[in-house]
Amino acid sequence: MIYLDNSATTRPFDGVIEAMASSMREGYYNPSAAYGPAIAAEREVRACRRAIAEQLGAREEEIVFTSGGTEGDNLAILGAAQALRSPGVFACSDIEHPAVAETIARVERMGHEVLRLPVDARGVLDLAACERLLSPRVALVSCMQVSNETGAVQPVEALSRLVKRIAPGALVHVDGVQGFLRVPMHMARMGVDLYTISAHKIHGPKGVGALAVRGGVRLAPQMTGGGQERGLRSGTLNGAGIVGLHAAVREMAARRAEVEALRGMKRRLLDDLSGLPGVTVNGPLPQEADSAPHILSLSFEGVRGEVLRNALEAEGVIVSTGSACASHKQKVSDALLAMGRTREQADGTIRVSLGLMNAPGEMDEAAARIASACEQLRRYRRR
Amino acid sequence: MRTILLVRFGEVFLKGQNRPFFMKKLIDRIKEVVGDLGGRVWMREGRIYVSDCADMDECARRVSRVFGVHSVSPAVEMDKADFAAVCEQAAAMMAPLTGTFKVLARRSDKRYPLDSPAIMREAGGVILERAPHLTVDVNHPDHVMTIEIRDHAYLSVERVMGVGGMPMGTNGKACLLLSGGIDSPVAGFMIAKRGVELCCVHYHSFPYTSERAKEKVLELARQLSEYSGKLRVLVVPFTEIQLEIHERCPENMTTLIMRRFMMRIAERLALSEGAQALVTGESIGQVASQTMEALACTDEVVSLPVFRPLIGMDKSEIVERAEAIGTFETSSLPYEDCCTIFTPKHPATHPRREQARAAEEALDAEALIAAAIEGTQAYEIG
Repeated sequence: MIYLDNSATTRPFDGVIEAMASSMREGYYNPSAAYGPAIAAEREVRACRRAIAEQLGAREEEIVFTSGGTEGDNLAILGAAQALRSPGVFACSDIEHPAVAETIARVERMGHEVLRLPVDARGVLDLAACERLLSPRVALVSCMQVSNETGAVQPVEALSRLVKRIAPGALVHVDGVQGFLRVPMHMARMGVDLYTISAHKIHGPKGVGALAVRGGVRLAPQMTGGGQERGLRSGTLNGAGIVGLHAAVREMAARRAEVEALRGMKRRLLDDLSGLPGVTVNGPLPQEADSAPHILSLSFEGVRGEVLRNALEAEGVIVSTGSACASHKQKVSDALLAMGRTREQADGTIRVSLGLMNAPGEMDEAAARIASACEQLRRYRRR
Repeated sequence: MRTILLVRFGEVFLKGQNRPFFMKKLIDRIKEVVGDLGGRVWMREGRIYVSDCADMDECARRVSRVFGVHSVSPAVEMDKADFAAVCEQAAAMMAPLTGTFKVLARRSDKRYPLDSPAIMREAGGVILERAPHLTVDVNHPDHVMTIEIRDHAYLSVERVMGVGGMPMGTNGKACLLLSGGIDSPVAGFMIAKRGVELCCVHYHSFPYTSERAKEKVLELARQLSEYSGKLRVLVVPFTEIQLEIHERCPENMTTLIMRRFMMRIAERLALSEGAQALVTGESIGQVASQTMEALACTDEVVSLPVFRPLIGMDKSEIVERAEAIGTFETSSLPYEDCCTIFTPKHPATHPRREQARAAEEALDAEALIAAAIEGTQAYEIG
């Protein structure tokens, strides 16, 4: 099987599995307890905090462990909204993951004003439009670092500068679920106040992640209880998960060159498909600087993404679609529509996403399967 | 004193000499559904009882779904000799309720010292004394306390309506064309209700329909099996046939020809499964392939009888049934209808049979059918 759905989730590194197994076997103590073994467990947690902070240009005490990306996004946005004394404006891009988009919608129902920031045809935030739309009343702007659908790297540093100029008190939240350890992030330098990460997208375990919260940022906790994580996120720490996250961070960081080399594989796949007519890349091209190394979104003329995905699965190639099919009306990706793609193009889209377990040779095989499946499927077009 | 389930049966009562056969099938099926709850099923004086069930509510729910059951009531079984205790128990069962009530007594033990009117009067008096917030209404009561005097006294208030019908396996076997939509599970339910054992045929068009679509159909079959008992689902690979039809036949006839192939294959599988009829979820005029002319075209390719229990029902009525049976939610999952390339823009709504025959002449029907049957996979459900 050739697994090319690493943006959905990744296979954990062996080192992650081993570290977690031994943590469960020997280091299972509650890190908040007072005796010796618990202090050793707490030390492990702290080491993970430090490793993440180091990658983000943040301080150790700015890292709050969560259950994953969705929780991090919720804590950042709802937490900021609830910490406000009066209603403010909450902005996010048009292409956010539902964990952000739906949470912003919830903030709107709480009585705040909401602003959606447009993207251009390449799926990159339109900064000129942002400048026109943002006002001094903005309380928080949320933008993903890397689009989960197209791999477009968003200009978060420029956005942050713009936000701080127009609304100096506003917070900038970045959903780094797809970007963390694939695209550089230095929170202090880039002016990012809140940054969400998830372990299972970087070959770590599911059910654990973190939100980095810059010092001085006030958030209302979404979980109340024993007051762990400086009161921001109560609940016994997920010891084994955090140990796994740490192992994943370490290995990803050590293999940074390989992560960057995924871009070469992406190009190779695309080159292999150059003989196939009617292929469009959604988002920046692999050779462009604002293209993340691991995600490639492709639309195939005259082919339905869902059918192509099924056909590829039968051939042992696992990809995902940008669309899910509803019984009578077809639901297509909002992000692709926001980029100005037609419904038909959006419906004919698959997403290929790479991870460190992929080998360059797999690209040739996957491309061959994609090409032959497309040729096969195009023979039977709707008349 | 213990709680048991009192089971009333419907139409089986009407049977004459072969009634023991129907009763046996009914009891066997009840035993099957309560087996893992530790329930014991027994019969006395023409009434079925289930006792020793750990979870009485679940027991009542499951037995009420057995075809042939008219209704069930959880009842308290107690010694009939101490009539004062019977009255106290009746009062204790009524006390948590509100509104109006009456007492209904049945005395099959004619040697019992009190007759039915006396039982009603006495028990009613005690209930009113212990639960003065209740009032009597003999015409339209909110609750009926039923006291039956048989070998023991049986007290019950609640009555759960059963699904009715005939015991499973008393009326042969039929083959259901199960699509994954809303209609076909309802059609299967209605035929199974008449005591007809089912097997199902599903047509799978991978990669145009996904693995999830197949899972959905198996889940629908599982839901049906809660009523019908174990059943087999035959999944037929159908892509080749659809592609051939798409390539070689006039576009406006493709859906109809596809239906004809489905019927032909279903008939062959039905015969090999020992089924005596086909069942479909069609209703007159619902879609182009369900006009009278289209139905005539699909009927002519098979010789087994085709049962269409939904034939005169509106979509809204079918949906209502699907909700009551519990298949609606699964049927509504969005994995179906993904093969839009196979749907003609303007299907023929008044096809003639000769037209259908001519339209499929270009196909090697026999070879296509044989290959589809060859690739069929069986799944045992329930």
